[in-house]
Amino acid sequence: MIDRRAFIRGAVGTAALASLLNADGGDGALQGIPHFPPTAKRVIYLFQSGAPSQMELFDYKPKLADLRSTELPDSIRQGQRLTGMTATQTSFPIAPSMFRFAQYGQSGAWLSELMPHMAAVVDDLCFIKSMNTEQINHDPAVTFCQTGFQLAGRPSIGSWLAYGLGSENKELPAFVVMISQGSGNAADQPLYDRLWGSGFLPSRYQGVKFRSAGDPVLYLSNPAGIDGGTRRRFLDDLAALDKINLREYSDPEISTRISQYEMAYKMQTSVPELTDLSKEPPHTFELYGEDARKPGTFAANCLLARRLAERGVRFIQLFHRGWDQHTNLPKQIRGQARDTDQASAALVQDLKERGLLKDTLVVWGGEFGRTVYCQGKLTADDYGRDHHPRCFTIWMAGGGMKAGLTYGETDEFGYNIVRNPVDIHDLHATILRNQGIDHTKLTYKFQGRHFRLTDVKGKIVNDVLAV
Amino acid sequence: MFGRFTFGLMLCAVAAPAQPKPAGAEFNRDIRPIFSDRCYTCHGPAVAMRVSKLRLDSEQGAKTVIVPGDPDRSEMVRRIMSDKNRMPPLSAGPGLTDAQIRLIREWIREGAVWERHWSFIPPKRPSVPASNAIDYLVRAKLGREGLKPAPEADKETLIRRVTLDLTGLPPTPAEIDAFLRDQSPGAYDKVVDRLLASPRYGERMAIRWLDAARYADTNGYQTDGERYMWRWRDWVIDAFNRNMPYGEFTVEQIAGDLLPNATLEQRIASGFNRNHRGNGEGGIVPEEYAAEYVVDRVDTTSTVFLGLTVGCARCHDHKYDPIKQKEFYQLYAYFDNIPERGNAQKYGNSPPFIKAPTAPQQAEVKRLDDAIADAGKKFAALNSEAMRGQRAWEQKAAREMEWSEPRALVAKFPGDLAMAGNFGFYDKFTLSARVNASTPDGPILTRAKEGKDAPEPTGISVLLKDGKVHVNLVLRWLDDAIRVETRDPVTLNQSHHVAVTYDGSRFADGVKIYVDGAARELKVNLDQMNQNFAVKEPWRIGTGFAVDQVRIYKAVLPPAEVAVLATPESIGEIAAIPPDKRSAAQSDKIRLCYLDQFAPYAIQDAWKTLLGLKEDRERFYDRVPTVMVMQDRPVPRETHLLLRGAYDHPGEKVERGVPAVLNPLPAGGSGNNRLTLARWVTDPANPLTARVAVNRFWQMYFGTGIVKTVEDFGSQGEWPANPELLDWLATEFVLTGWNVKAMQKTIVMSATYRQSSKASPELLQRDPENRLLARGPRFRLPAEMVRDQALAISGLLAEKIGGPSVKPYQPAGLWKELSGGEDYVQDKGDKLYRRSLYTFWKRASPPPMMVNFDSPGREACTVLETRTNTPLQALDLMNDLTFVEGSRVLAERMMKEGGKSPEERIAFAFRLATARMPNDQERTILLGSYQYNLDRFQTDSGAALKLIDQGERRRDPSLSVSDLAAYTTVASLILNLDETVTRQ
Repeated sequence: MIDRRAFIRGAVGTAALASLLNADGGDGALQGIPHFPPTAKRVIYLFQSGAPSQMELFDYKPKLADLRSTELPDSIRQGQRLTGMTATQTSFPIAPSMFRFAQYGQSGAWLSELMPHMAAVVDDLCFIKSMNTEQINHDPAVTFCQTGFQLAGRPSIGSWLAYGLGSENKELPAFVVMISQGSGNAADQPLYDRLWGSGFLPSRYQGVKFRSAGDPVLYLSNPAGIDGGTRRRFLDDLAALDKINLREYSDPEISTRISQYEMAYKMQTSVPELTDLSKEPPHTFELYGEDARKPGTFAANCLLARRLAERGVRFIQLFHRGWDQHTNLPKQIRGQARDTDQASAALVQDLKERGLLKDTLVVWGGEFGRTVYCQGKLTADDYGRDHHPRCFTIWMAGGGMKAGLTYGETDEFGYNIVRNPVDIHDLHATILRNQGIDHTKLTYKFQGRHFRLTDVKGKIVNDVLAV
Repeated sequence: MFGRFTFGLMLCAVAAPAQPKPAGAEFNRDIRPIFSDRCYTCHGPAVAMRVSKLRLDSEQGAKTVIVPGDPDRSEMVRRIMSDKNRMPPLSAGPGLTDAQIRLIREWIREGAVWERHWSFIPPKRPSVPASNAIDYLVRAKLGREGLKPAPEADKETLIRRVTLDLTGLPPTPAEIDAFLRDQSPGAYDKVVDRLLASPRYGERMAIRWLDAARYADTNGYQTDGERYMWRWRDWVIDAFNRNMPYGEFTVEQIAGDLLPNATLEQRIASGFNRNHRGNGEGGIVPEEYAAEYVVDRVDTTSTVFLGLTVGCARCHDHKYDPIKQKEFYQLYAYFDNIPERGNAQKYGNSPPFIKAPTAPQQAEVKRLDDAIADAGKKFAALNSEAMRGQRAWEQKAAREMEWSEPRALVAKFPGDLAMAGNFGFYDKFTLSARVNASTPDGPILTRAKEGKDAPEPTGISVLLKDGKVHVNLVLRWLDDAIRVETRDPVTLNQSHHVAVTYDGSRFADGVKIYVDGAARELKVNLDQMNQNFAVKEPWRIGTGFAVDQVRIYKAVLPPAEVAVLATPESIGEIAAIPPDKRSAAQSDKIRLCYLDQFAPYAIQDAWKTLLGLKEDRERFYDRVPTVMVMQDRPVPRETHLLLRGAYDHPGEKVERGVPAVLNPLPAGGSGNNRLTLARWVTDPANPLTARVAVNRFWQMYFGTGIVKTVEDFGSQGEWPANPELLDWLATEFVLTGWNVKAMQKTIVMSATYRQSSKASPELLQRDPENRLLARGPRFRLPAEMVRDQALAISGLLAEKIGGPSVKPYQPAGLWKELSGGEDYVQDKGDKLYRRSLYTFWKRASPPPMMVNFDSPGREACTVLETRTNTPLQALDLMNDLTFVEGSRVLAERMMKEGGKSPEERIAFAFRLATARMPNDQERTILLGSYQYNLDRFQTDSGAALKLIDQGERRRDPSLSVSDLAAYTTVASLILNLDETVTRQ
């Protein structure tokens, strides 16, 4: 693949043309992209940080009820490596989920009682129950999901897409991140700015975090005492001064800087307009839930995600924290489900009603699964689950996905995959495919090597694609 | 300077013997990059990757498909031009470009001369005039390109450029004036010497080194707790300021700990290889991360010193460079012999670490030691008097009298234990009790509650199990606790004194268990404490059997004092024993009791002064910073190749060694350890070390290295823009004894560096990246200089070298929203205005302004400087409190120091930022802006007040509000100028 940007850099200097907001105009895609006709133009990735328990939400295992408190057979565990938190546990008692499951929709997808709103849209969702990962701890596992590698330093998936596809919007970044704190495990599992970092890609491809408190984008607001008119005059004076120097030095960086200040000024208008939910009609809040009125909630972020999608932002990623239920699982997961169920379903429905779902890919999932065996004490109404990389469930919806499909299968313990395993590289390959990109061809040369999101792996999961 | 060169001289240069052929195709420059990038994946050095027998990384291999002199008869040419079975194959992407094919044909036509990869051949010193070799070599190249160098930059531009480049801060108006006044030929020379002698030079040089060494103030994984490596950071600053030769600088950082009689400073230097991230996440597999730390050291050391991407050989033979997987693990073997653990501490430094007092702290320790010695002498002088006094007192000591150590006692039983002494994992404590156990199992003393993840409790527990004394300090039973037990049981139904001390170190070897006053041998059940184990529970005394005389101290009692505590006899009973029949503990006990309560005032005073000083010293020493260092195990660990790089797939055993393609290890010396490796790196025979170092220096001054890929000198790296220049600089560096300051001076003294950076549109078109250097370098300042400059010209900058990292302004909530835990607590006062290299660097949430302006994230070694130009930078410079306050304080300076008229004041600020006076046009715009804002703020004084009341630095209330606000806006305009944030 010929890296058009690299070529341009060679010709006129690194930052002269391209920019975070794509000051060069056009769609900003690399030459040769799309490699295939894309089936979606943007991605909304609802990342559930901490690892939601598939046992409680999606992966119905009726036979476990009879095996309650019995030891997980060695034939199932197969000597798999465990985290240091339970590796020395002397007993691995099976903990069946205490929540009721039922089938929903035309597709008859199984879902637990914790997700009543998702149940109403199951026919739009494509469940993958056979996700698996190599990582057993949060930091490396989330890093792996985000970058295709367990150690920090590589570009995140959103940065890869921004690099490959450029931006559709000239006033907003191509890659936006929003964070919410769940009601579950609050203390653990921090996130890191590097999770949406651009790694070795130029930093203009990094995700821009939209915050719920203070400025939605850092340093967006003028300081107190400076109003819009004063800022306008300031920018005009600044541009006039910079142009004097430009005439002396002819350095294209100076023109770029002038246009970046203009872009900044546009963001000062476009971002507050975007994050202002006051003009949303009441039925929006009926759909997403009253939580959506509270800035910083998952529901509010889902609503913002729709508004970002409407404005052509390429990659929108939500991180919802609090899914790490080592102990006290039943109580915590009820809260986590309440945080996310209605708004996730609302987002799918809302996008659909607005005709956006057909070219938006929505992904819902965490970094790994949770164990069938109990961590800590197993009582009638309390138990916990440790990390489980061997299987977990995610769902995808929207452009190019087979709606109403349940793909992949785990054994009756929900411990091992028995059919159609999908790993993180496969998921990445499939997301890129969906965006019209051949994952083996989106590369960037760094330290002598042509890196790609899927490292040296990744198979497109054609079975879940509608095309 | 420039005038001495003429175009004629440049033409001569073309004919100089040191110059390579101008045209044609050269293997190293033109052909190897094509082979490497497009062919070596299958036909390269990596055995496992080779799908065919054909090797294009060796001359022998390549010549099987090449007929030298005859491209048309060469199979290689046939295949790269073929439509049907083209090489590289379709699966490897597009074919070679026409230009590439032309080059290969040309190279074959000229005889297909093969060369070893350039960077593995030691640099050859070109024969050029040493006085101005840089200019000679740059101009030779320009001559070949038919270009002329630019004239020297004007003096104002020059002094600003060189001052920023060498110190990271702008020149003051006085410095500019002095330079403008000095018409002597040595004027610039003097400026350069002054700058190189400034302590700011070390700070400036350190910044890039911190990026390379992935220095940070947090551990980098998960909770991302704080660590303390600033003593290493200060060592770097000091080394640059002392002009430590680069060879020593290298040796001390790779193996300072192994130098004979290593000094504290040399051991601190070895912290270079401990700056990597450390994982303290609960539940990790320690072996996995232990391997990652070693890999990081190998990668960083190779990249920083050798410009090699050896990390590629971790999983398989290197695809492009002649580095075998086995050789990667031979390097690995130098770095895996450290007594470390894969599970790093969540908070603080992970072993091995040392106490690293600063020079003033060392002086204070010495002062305290002297005072202790002095007080000891004074007390000793009273000894015979004390002995006499004690004997007299013993005669009348009451028979039932009892005494125990009162200092640091926080609670006792009988008495009220309750909530006193709620110790956490950083706290020192001693627990003691007398126990008479009727059964082998039961609690003695606990401060604990029911555990979350296991049946065992969380908190502090001292208990008997199978008759053995167990001490459990637990947050999570399975993976976050210290758990130890005595090897031998106590005797049942017999009174024992049990004491436990914990030194707040968070390690099992900081726990001691005494039974009847004697320390017992311990078995460690778990040594993995990461988080505070304190619980909101009262102390509870075991009820299963008799527990009595409980004492809780907030200090670690030394063994002798524990023995005193364990002495069952009362003072009266001891008094009744003849002195020569008393045990040591009995003697101690009665003596301590006497000194504590009954000695005459002078003796008590001398005794308590001595104790007080010892406590002072301990308290002081506890606050002395630590730093993580390298250390070798006495018996080397066996190293195995890791199959596919996986920690749990060891392959063949390997011995320490260096890649065969490079110079051999230096002869002589015994053993082969990290020090041997360090000597090898700095061996003048090493073809890479000097080149890589000077190339990085070059990048600092010209924005781009002579080899653009500063991180990769392998075959995937870029061909040097001027190979002779690189080699001259490299050989010069070695010849001068690795003199770092001399090298900086050589570069900045060159006419090449001093050229004006103004360029014609034609030249920009021709050489957009300025690789030919027909003009001076012009690029945006690095992140820290953007901020430091604003602080400097506003007068806010608080200059102080070194010390713990500081927390200047950053938007509230950034840490908390990522972690839900602790938030950033901004500092106050001068700490807000320190140079940016002292800003606290949290890896999970680096300082946003630094990130906006392209600072690397410090997760891993970064040597390539990158610069972007984004709207986020614009927002930052306009709206970040750092710059808003900076503008206001600069405005105050304008009003107080800048003269009387708006014109003067504006020119004053403009010159502070750009080192020059504004021209008429600029003056008009700035004045217009001032007037506009003055009008606005005069009508809206509320807005004016809001603008000028931001930031912690109080404004001068004597200045007119609307005027100050208007100047603040103008100052902000000046700080936002492209010229201000650029060194041009």
